[in-house]
Amino acid sequence: MSKYWVSITELKEEKYLVDALREMGYRPEVHQEAVPMNSYYSEQEAKQANIIIRRHELRGACGDIGFARQPDGQLTLIADELDAYHGYGEKWLGRVQQLYKEKQTFAMARAKGYILKKREVIQTKEGQQVRLQSAVRR
Amino acid sequence: MQDQTITITIDGQGHSTTDLEGFTGRSCEKVFEDFRGGDRVKLERKKPAYYTGQQVQQEKSHR
Repeated sequence: MSKYWVSITELKEEKYLVDALREMGYRPEVHQEAVPMNSYYSEQEAKQANIIIRRHELRGACGDIGFARQPDGQLTLIADELDAYHGYGEKWLGRVQQLYKEKQTFAMARAKGYILKKREVIQTKEGQQVRLQSAVRR
Repeated sequence: MQDQTITITIDGQGHSTTDLEGFTGRSCEKVFEDFRGGDRVKLERKKPAYYTGQQVQQEKSHR
């Protein structure tokens, strides 16, 4: 054994985020320049995002949900606060990040010549974990 | 030679734990850089074998 580390996934790469959302069953719109999002409350300040899931795809949601590119390169979640109570809160975002990280890891491992040996899904009290085991190509 | 494996566990919040086995010194750092991606590292620990391997390499190079 030699080393371990714990890291926090930061959403930065559009393609993995879009792939993650597609795997969740959505058809996200992708815009180079941020575009307005629709909100249930017309008097609310207009929000803009680069990647948008429209409300009609989000069961029970008040408005669209989007991800906006920040100056530091991160894509941050933009959503109506009320939608956190409609199933689009931390748990939903966690699932997005989990899928994003898995797709990013697969792509990186393949590109750098590692071999994926095993993929496991583990049920825990805190929710589902995905375990990927890779090896160095000899 | 011990097998070199990389085990990544991704939890429901998207946080990941990466565990390297069978790596020492520079090879360990290379894998670390490859797998870290652009993520923010919250905790990093080197295991005893990391140093053990390095000492062995250094001893060999002194000879």
